[in-house]
Amino acid sequence: MLCSAHQAWPIAAPQRYAPMADNETTSHSRLIERVAANQDRHAFMLLFAFFGPRVKGFMMRSGASDAYAEELAQETLLTVWRKAQTFDASRASASTWIFTIARNLRIDGLRREKLAANAQAQLDVLDLDVERPDQTLNSVERAERLRAALSGLSPDQLDLVRLSFFEDKPHPEIAKALNIPLGTVKSRLRRSMMLLREILEDLK
Amino acid sequence: MTIRHHPDIATLGSFGFGTLDKARAFVVAAHVTSCAKCKAMVRGFEETGGVVLEDLEPAPLSMGAGEAMLDMVLHGADADRRTAEPRLAEVDLRTVLSTFDEGPWRWLGPGVHYKPLTTAPAGEARLFLLKAEPGTSLPEHTHSGTELTLILRGAFSHSGGRFGPGDLEEADSSVEHQPVVDDGDVCICLVAMDGQLRLTGFMGRLLQPFVRL
Ligand SMILES: [Zn+2]
Repeated sequence: MLCSAHQAWPIAAPQRYAPMADNETTSHSRLIERVAANQDRHAFMLLFAFFGPRVKGFMMRSGASDAYAEELAQETLLTVWRKAQTFDASRASASTWIFTIARNLRIDGLRREKLAANAQAQLDVLDLDVERPDQTLNSVERAERLRAALSGLSPDQLDLVRLSFFEDKPHPEIAKALNIPLGTVKSRLRRSMMLLREILEDLK
Repeated sequence: MTIRHHPDIATLGSFGFGTLDKARAFVVAAHVTSCAKCKAMVRGFEETGGVVLEDLEPAPLSMGAGEAMLDMVLHGADADRRTAEPRLAEVDLRTVLSTFDEGPWRWLGPGVHYKPLTTAPAGEARLFLLKAEPGTSLPEHTHSGTELTLILRGAFSHSGGRFGPGDLEEADSSVEHQPVVDDGDVCICLVAMDGQLRLTGFMGRLLQPFVRL
């Protein structure tokens, strides 16, 4: 189902990792805060214009059809509108926050049909809040460092990150699709996560 | 509660990116809830997700998508449409524990009972609770798929170490072990498992025909 992820780069070419202007990343947070403060529809539409197509792309690469991906993108942004008050810029950057919304919808949306109703009821408790992480850098600074670190990866390494980001197929299916042994898939996934861990630990 | 055994980094990453199946995600979430170290790591994967999302090639929206969106938020159209909680997926262990009182425990083998929590379709990981009496020696076994076990109460040991409350064990076909439950307290675990449990010991082979796990 997710074969598309193998053919196309889900992540834009490395040069796109050029640091975003500080005001651009902080402004997304400000826009969410404006929605929270006074249901600012202009601010919301700016968020929609930027994140809508990206969330749609994310859903399509995760295996959703064009129409369904757009529906999930709308639901993601609808959640942004409705839950804007719960956004805390000191805890997460705008893109991290919106990613978690999209991710949760992807989990629900792409798997809902596969789960029995009572399983769904059991698993709906999957939402509790997290404490603020103990970090010295703020969320925007961390995102910038992360972006810079990703831009330093080789194409092979980016390939590994991509594999871990979009694959939700059982490992045997990935092995079949890529025509490599099962053990190789597992070790490659593991290597990509370890690479990310190194990057993340450097942020501390 | 001292946690000594954590999920593999690949499992944590899949959890943060949301590519883990729900049964496994549930078990990992239950661990992450009480493990600051893993919580911080999951947070990092979520941040990575944010950066990757920002830099994704945008997929053009259909004509009129913006108007439809505006209509949706301003007029409460489709008010009952799903909204996802913008939070880290976590599990309240008390909610899991409260399910102990519901439904019967089923006999699995001498001193061992289980209680299914989900009825996952074939090929998907199943979620169940496992309860073993103090001192029980579980049949030596291996797995045809992979298995995540979170210890909720009590403790057991095998060649891979001792596992107590909050510890998470990952096992697959490369692991063959024979857990022994500590004396003194029952051991209750939350388990996500796909594939078949394969009993390899002598007792295990005798039991295998009766074990539908
Ligand atoms: Zn941990």
